[in-house]
Amino acid sequence: MLLGGPPRRSPRSGTSPKGPQSSTGHVHFGKSPQTWPRRTRPRSPGLAAPSGVRGSTQPKRRDFPRRAWLTALSRYGARLWMGRRPSLPEARGPAPRSAAASRASRSLASPETSPSPLPATTRGAVAGGGSVQGRAGAQKEVFPGQGAGKMAAPMELFCWSGGWGLPSVDLDSLAVLTYARFTGAPLKVHKISNPWRSPSGTLPALRTSHGEVISVPHKIITHLRKEKYNADYDLSARQGADTLAFMSLLEEKLLPVLVHTFWIDTKNYVEVTRKWYAEAMPFPLNFFLPGRMQRQYMERLQLLSGEHRPEDEEELEKELYREARECLTLLSQRLGTQKFFFGDAPASLDAFVFSYLALLLQAKLPNGKLQAHLRGLHNLCAYCTHILSLYFPWDGAEVPPPRHTPAGPETEEEPYGRRNQILSVLAGLAAMVGYALLSGIVSIQRATPARAPSTRALGMAEEDEEE
Amino acid sequence: MSLVAEAFVSQIAAAEPWPENATLYQQLKGEQILLSDNAASLAVQAFLQMCNLPIKVVCRANAEYMSPSGKVPFIHVGNQVVSELGPIVQFVKAKGHSLSDGLDEVQKAEMKAYMELVNNMLLTAELYLQWCDEATVGEITHARYGSPYPWPLNHILAYQKQWEIKRKMKAIGWGKKTLDQVLEDVDQCCQALSQRLGTQPYFFNKQPTELDALVFGHLYTILTTQLTNDELSEKVLFLSEDGKW
Repeated sequence: MLLGGPPRRSPRSGTSPKGPQSSTGHVHFGKSPQTWPRRTRPRSPGLAAPSGVRGSTQPKRRDFPRRAWLTALSRYGARLWMGRRPSLPEARGPAPRSAAASRASRSLASPETSPSPLPATTRGAVAGGGSVQGRAGAQKEVFPGQGAGKMAAPMELFCWSGGWGLPSVDLDSLAVLTYARFTGAPLKVHKISNPWRSPSGTLPALRTSHGEVISVPHKIITHLRKEKYNADYDLSARQGADTLAFMSLLEEKLLPVLVHTFWIDTKNYVEVTRKWYAEAMPFPLNFFLPGRMQRQYMERLQLLSGEHRPEDEEELEKELYREARECLTLLSQRLGTQKFFFGDAPASLDAFVFSYLALLLQAKLPNGKLQAHLRGLHNLCAYCTHILSLYFPWDGAEVPPPRHTPAGPETEEEPYGRRNQILSVLAGLAAMVGYALLSGIVSIQRATPARAPSTRALGMAEEDEEE
Repeated sequence: MSLVAEAFVSQIAAAEPWPENATLYQQLKGEQILLSDNAASLAVQAFLQMCNLPIKVVCRANAEYMSPSGKVPFIHVGNQVVSELGPIVQFVKAKGHSLSDGLDEVQKAEMKAYMELVNNMLLTAELYLQWCDEATVGEITHARYGSPYPWPLNHILAYQKQWEIKRKMKAIGWGKKTLDQVLEDVDQCCQALSQRLGTQPYFFNKQPTELDALVFGHLYTILTTQLTNDELSEKVLFLSEDGKW
C-alpha cells in the first residue's frame, strides 16, 4: 500500500493545485445525514497505482493516480461528455485499445476482468463532465458534493431504473442505492434498463475507482464501507450483531415471498412486473429477457424451499406467506416508534429493510395479500414514506418519475423505431426491385435509344413470362 | 394440510399430553450421521430437555427418507410425526410447553432473527464444508453418507446428495465462495452471537430458549467433530463464553 506514497508527490505537484492535499480533498464531498468523520485516505492512491501499471502503455501514468489521468484526459473528456448519452459505453469508445477489451468484458458476464485503462478514461470523462453536466436527468445523477469530480475517482453504480414511484424497481439495486444515499457516497449512478449494458452483465453493478467490477450487493456495500462510507460506524457491537441477524431473517423469510409475489404469481407477473420490464428494455431484449429472469427466479425459489410435490404448491405458498406476515410483524415490533432501526441515524439494515418494504408498498399489485398486511402495520408504512421523502425526494414524488420514465424508454425507442421503419421500407423496396430485375420483368439496358429497346425488352420479357 | 385441517390437528395435539414413548429419529450415530444433521438433532434434543420432556433417541439408517420433509431429525409423538426444529417448537408450544413465553415482543423478534442467522450462516457453512470442500467430501462425507448401503448404491446416493447441495449453494450465491470466505462468514456469525451473549448465561434473561438450544447444538457439534479441516472448530473456540455449556 505504500507504493503510491512518495512518487505521488514528486513530479506531479505542479499539475494540479490539489497535489499534496488530495487526501484532505476527500473530506469535502458527500452529504450525509450526520457528519461521518471522513477519514482521509492517504493510502488509497497507492492502490490505484498498481492498476495503472498493469494496463497503461504510457510511462508517465505508471506511478500515478488519478490526477495525472484526469488532467491528461480532461481535455477530450469534456468533448466526449457533451451531448452524449449518459451511458458510458459510448463515451469510452475512443479509449486507446481498451475498447475491444471493455466490450468483451461487458458482453460476457465476467465481473472481474474489466481492464484498468477503462477507469482512466471514465474518470477523465467524468472530470470533464462533472462540471459540465451534459444531461443530468432521471438517467444520470452526479452527486452535488462531488464538486469538480476530480477528488476521488468516482465509483459508478449501474442499476435498474425507477418506476412505480421508486428510484429503482429491483430489490438489490434499491438497497444499494439507498445505502449510498444514507452515507452520501459520491457515486455516479447510471439508471439503465438493459442489463447487458452493465459492466458485469447483471444489475446492480459497481465499478470501483480501481476499475474492478462488483456485482453482489453485499459485496458492493462492503466495498463502500471499506472506502469509508460506512453507515454502521456508530453502531455498537451488539447492534452490529443484530444487523446480521435481522438481515438473515429478511433473506430467509421475506425474500422468497417477495420473489414469489413479483415473479411467480401469475397475475402480478403479467400485469405488473413483465409489463414494466418489457416496456423498459430496448427492442430485441424485451421479448425474451423477462421470461428468462422469471425462470431464474423460479428455479431459485424452488431450490430454496426444497423439493415439493405439485399438489403441495398451494400449501407451500400459504406457508411462505404466513411466515412473511410473521416476519413483517416482527420487524414492526422491533422498529416500534423509532425513526430508524438503531436510533436516529440510518444504518445498512435500514437500507435493506426499506428496499423490501418499499417494493411491497409502492408497486400496484393486483394480488396483494402481503401488501394488505403491510399496510396494516402503520409504523412500517410511515418508516418507508419517511425515508422516501427524505432521501429520494424527487423520485418519491409521483410527478417527475412518470414523466421521465415513460419519456426515457420512449426517447430511447423513438430513434430506433424510426430507423427500423425506414430500414424496413428500404428492405421491402430492395426486395421488390431485386425480384423484378432477376425475374426479368424489368431489365436495364445500356442502349442509347433509351425508349424503344427497353420497351421491346419489356414486351419480350412479358411474353416469356406468359409462356 | 389446509388451514382447517391444521387447526384441527393442533387441537388434537393440544388435547393430548406428552406421551412417555416419544421418539426422535436420526441417522446412525457412529458411522453415518454428518455434521449438519448431528447439529440439528442435538439442538432438538437440547430443546426437549430444556422443556423437561422425555425423549428417546432411535438411530435408523433411513431416517432421512422416513422424515416427512426430508430432513432429520424428526420426532414421533403419539400418532404424529414432526420434523425440524421450527415445527417441533410450534408443536410443543401447542401442547402447552414453551420456553419463550416470558419474552416480550422485541425479544421474540430478536430471537427469531438470531435463529435465522444461525440457520443461514452456520448451517450453510456446515453444509458447504461437508459437501463442497473436496478434501472433506472425499475423505469423510462420501464414506459416511453411503456407509449403510451396498456397493453401487452408496456412491450413487452420495453423489446425488452432493449434486443437490451444490445446486442449492449456487442458488443462494455460495457456489462461488472459497473456503476462506466461508470461514470468514462463520467468524462473523460467531462474533455476532458472542456479542449478543455478552456475559449472560443464556441469550435471554436467565432462562434458556430455543435459540440457546440451537446454538448449543451447532457449536457443540462443530467443536467435537473431527474433520479434515479444523479451522471451523478453531473459529468457534474463540467464543469463550460458551465454554460453560
